[in-house]
Amino acid sequence: MSSERGLRIRGLRVSVAGNEILKGIDLDVEPGRVHALMGPNGSGKSTLAFALTGHPGYSVDGGSATLDGTDLLALAPDKRAKSGLFLSFQYPAAIPGVKVSNFLLATRNALKTDPLPPAKFRQLVFEKMDLLDMDTSFLGRYLNDGFSGGEKKRLEMLQLAVLAPKYAILDETDSGLDVDALRAVGESVGAMRDDASGKDTGFLIITHYPRILQHIAPDVVHVMLDGRIVTSGDAHLAQTIEREGYDTIREAQSANA
Amino acid sequence: MPSVAVEETRGGPSGRALAQVSARPEAAFLSAEDRQRAFERFEESSAQRERPGRYWKIDLDALDLSNYDPEIANPGNLAEVDMPPHDRVVVTDLLTASRRHPDVFRQALGSALGDAPSKFAALARAFASGGAFVYVPPGVALDAPIELNYRPRTGASFPYTLVVAGDGAQCTVVVRTVSDATGVLSCGVTEVVAGERARVDVACVQSLAPDAVAIGTCIATGSAGAFVHFCSAQFGARLAIEALEIDVDAREMDANISLLFFPRDEQHVDVLSTVEHRVGDSRSDTLVKSAASGAGQARYLGNIRIHPSAHLSDARLKDDALLLSRAAHIDSVPALEIAANDVKAYHGATVGAIDEALLFYMESRGLDPQAAERMIALGFFEPAVERFPASVRAELRDALEAKVKK
Ligand SMILES: Nc1ncnc2c1ncn2[C@@H]1O[C@H](COP(=O)(O)OP(=O)(O)O)[C@@H](O)[C@H]1O
Ligand SMILES: [Mg+2]
Repeated sequence: MSSERGLRIRGLRVSVAGNEILKGIDLDVEPGRVHALMGPNGSGKSTLAFALTGHPGYSVDGGSATLDGTDLLALAPDKRAKSGLFLSFQYPAAIPGVKVSNFLLATRNALKTDPLPPAKFRQLVFEKMDLLDMDTSFLGRYLNDGFSGGEKKRLEMLQLAVLAPKYAILDETDSGLDVDALRAVGESVGAMRDDASGKDTGFLIITHYPRILQHIAPDVVHVMLDGRIVTSGDAHLAQTIEREGYDTIREAQSANA
Repeated sequence: MPSVAVEETRGGPSGRALAQVSARPEAAFLSAEDRQRAFERFEESSAQRERPGRYWKIDLDALDLSNYDPEIANPGNLAEVDMPPHDRVVVTDLLTASRRHPDVFRQALGSALGDAPSKFAALARAFASGGAFVYVPPGVALDAPIELNYRPRTGASFPYTLVVAGDGAQCTVVVRTVSDATGVLSCGVTEVVAGERARVDVACVQSLAPDAVAIGTCIATGSAGAFVHFCSAQFGARLAIEALEIDVDAREMDANISLLFFPRDEQHVDVLSTVEHRVGDSRSDTLVKSAASGAGQARYLGNIRIHPSAHLSDARLKDDALLLSRAAHIDSVPALEIAANDVKAYHGATVGAIDEALLFYMESRGLDPQAAERMIALGFFEPAVERFPASVRAELRDALEAKVKK
């Protein structure tokens, strides 16, 4: 069983509206590790996130994706979540009329077989909100409705912390965040990884800008260009990209080709 | 012989039936001539709603009501009252009100309806019996709601509720029309007369059996600074026709309308709301949340009229419709007529299915598609639900949930 653990993506090809976007992705996200997925805008990072979580607009044309041995691609989106996958959206949906507190409770109950007594649940939520510098008045607001960009991302992080998935994909969680918000997000993820509930969580942190990686140190960095992972390395790779952008990598690629 | 009396009212709310009703002592609060005039108005006037078309199947000017026999003892005519006792607030039936509070009663009854009531309001007036009279004297503020429950049985009933709030009075009135009986026609009026700076919230909740015909008119008039809020939730009946009108005919009035309706299966719901800004320095806010599933049909016409002299009126109309199946249809028309120029008027209307992006977001968090759809649909109604009096919100949410579940 342990040999099967990991989010394993092999030869994944994905198209959107008839256009092939992902041209064969191989990627392993290990439990308890932080993987960064970097790449310029339009390279296909969100497409990978949506294909893995089962967005109906993304069609998988080939390859495989398994989560701790479970064939993700055979499952409906909610079943993928139940198997332990979480996506923090680049653009979270606003759902008027649905209170944050109700949604948190409903999703937690949908995902976990051990329903928490309300008081315990509230305590858990308050703790996590504290780490994210979120006021408890958020709980009474409608989900993402009228939220600023930063508030939406904080709420995504709150859900991540409350749901404690096996694998978490964070799609551009850093974009639109100010320095304080970014630090709060980093601390929240750090606290989650220090906690028993999150120490085995594997992270895939999608970003085109390495800022967030100063707060959540990556174990591995992958670079995506035009629907392919073109190189992988350690945290130094992120620093290289910060200095030089993607051009050097792109040039090396075309020289290889 | 009682059987003769019953016999004579056969054939629905006819002229003959009216003569029968008018002759009863219980009907003495309105003269036979008054009733006759109202009945003629019903027969001669048009509902002034669109003809049947591709989706909507029922002609409101040609309703066959002949199967619904009026019966003066129908409990659908007389409200069951539920409220904490209060030594100054009056809640009684119309006949008693006409005897014990003749001045207030005479002055108020029909004052919002006017001389030319709409077709169905005229019918309700013609056959009114029993009913409910609520009088909150000047300066009295009631915290707890006054709950009036009409429980019609088979046949026609004509619940008439008259709410009079004196200057500075405050009250919340809940009017329920609720019954499991088959073969029900309920055709009622809720008339509100609000004094200066009075504050009146009235919520009408209709949940009749699936074969019923439910017709309601809510109409209000107010004095300077009065706040009036009509809430209406239409859940039951095969045909529900609801008209709400607030006449802003005094300065600094605040007129509010909140509507919820949700036809499913073959249900038809026709809703008309009208705010007449006749006098300026006034405000109105109309919020409509509707959904339809199955082959449910709804149409909504939201009139806001700002008359030429109604300077500094501030009117708002927001109308959102959610379609939950392919055969469901909601025809929604906001109609703003603005004849004054220094006014604020806003309207926004949306019609659509549940947004796929919302569904995916929720599913990706582990909710199955049905649960996600339910949550989104219930959330959709929530801004309107929260405008209803607190004492009815839970039942509204339950009713909506039952509708969504199907
Ligand atoms: N829903 C969509 N419809 C059409 N094209 C899309 C859609 N989503 C993504 N694409 C296209 O796929 C490519 C990759 O997009 P995306 O995965 O969003 O990139 P990234 O997240 O790396 O910025 C882009 O060329 C984009 O235009
Ligand atoms: Mg993206």
